[in-house]
Amino acid sequence: MAGSRFVSLSTSTLASGALIAALASVQPALAQAPSKASSQSSPQGDTWASIMKLPDWGGIWEVTFGGGPRGARPEAPALTPAYEAKLKEYQDAQKRGEIQDTPAANCVPNGMPAIMTQPYPMEILFTPGKVTIMIEAYSQWRQIFTDGRKHPEDPDLTFNGHSIGHWEGDTLVVDTVGFTTDTALAGFGVRHSDKMHIVERMHVIEGDKLQIETTITDPEALAKPLTSTRVYGRHRDWTLAEYQCQQNNRNFTTDDGKAGINLKH
Amino acid sequence: MSEAKKIEQVTHDWARLRRAAIGTLVGAALAVAGAASAHHSFAVFDMSQQKTIEGTVSDFQWTNPHTWTWVDVKADDGSVTKYGFEGMSPNFLGRRGWSKNTLKPGDHVKIVYAPLKSGEPGGTFLRATLKDGTEMVMFGGGPVN
Repeated sequence: MAGSRFVSLSTSTLASGALIAALASVQPALAQAPSKASSQSSPQGDTWASIMKLPDWGGIWEVTFGGGPRGARPEAPALTPAYEAKLKEYQDAQKRGEIQDTPAANCVPNGMPAIMTQPYPMEILFTPGKVTIMIEAYSQWRQIFTDGRKHPEDPDLTFNGHSIGHWEGDTLVVDTVGFTTDTALAGFGVRHSDKMHIVERMHVIEGDKLQIETTITDPEALAKPLTSTRVYGRHRDWTLAEYQCQQNNRNFTTDDGKAGINLKH
Repeated sequence: MSEAKKIEQVTHDWARLRRAAIGTLVGAALAVAGAASAHHSFAVFDMSQQKTIEGTVSDFQWTNPHTWTWVDVKADDGSVTKYGFEGMSPNFLGRRGWSKNTLKPGDHVKIVYAPLKSGEPGGTFLRATLKDGTEMVMFGGGPVN
């Protein structure tokens, strides 16, 4: 199972939810990579004049649930034996009713890659040398440096990682490393190491659809790369809204994984 | 058609998710919940059940990560119990026909919900019939018609 924290649900009814959440959030890679223009000849958005030559990514983007053909099943991550064992341990704890929810119930953001597939929109801003993705869910943002810098040699480990990018024609290629191991690779039981590496190829297809093809590698956790493709719909007339998860969060997960709800009012 | 097939069929866009939420297919309602919430599991709710209550809104909290609707329900013996219903976020609903004024204190409302497993009064909000008769859907958002 992949793609959503809802894979953590354990009862049979809930498993249906897990299935759909996984279906909704991960689609196998189906589309061909867009034509690769040489990045040397592509505008890189390093100046305002260069930004004027970039494709129009204006508006607000929300993930859709139709990234692939009907009924397309998500690709399951091919885990190494060590990480397969971690997943089994997690699933066994779920079956025993010991794990009922994830830290998100306590308003801990998902981190990459799951933060890109929340059912909330995002806005993508171009400024000279940087692309910023404003993510409504959990009020997150990602900054993607397009000024030619490299990753730090020993990056701090964070939820959303350190991202550098470049344009290949109208495709933004984003390379991200430096993830805290507190977050999940796919479903919450699927863990990753601090060597997880994510490459995203983002480009607009059909005018109002943004396609992001995501490839995850992890020499410790994954036996082979995990690739998925998601499509985001453009909403020109929307604006991002505030999302303060701790404003009135009545859901909680205890330290030992039990789910609860607070009905005091 | 297997439940899994039905669920696959509702994965494709919000309109389908919404139609599933309007229907009585509980698995599909859960599917909508799973796809649309992403904040917590549904472990505390009994998603195999749908219950209906009628009462008077005492508070409609237009807050993240969830709206909360508090309804006073009068029993035959005259006693009043306060129910709490967790709904979709204002961000989600605000883009789909709801507003902070959709429910107001004092409004009579009928709410269909999946109850809390604990037996406490409340659950996850599926849909409502407002005082003017409008039916509003929670998962998927918006009025029924």
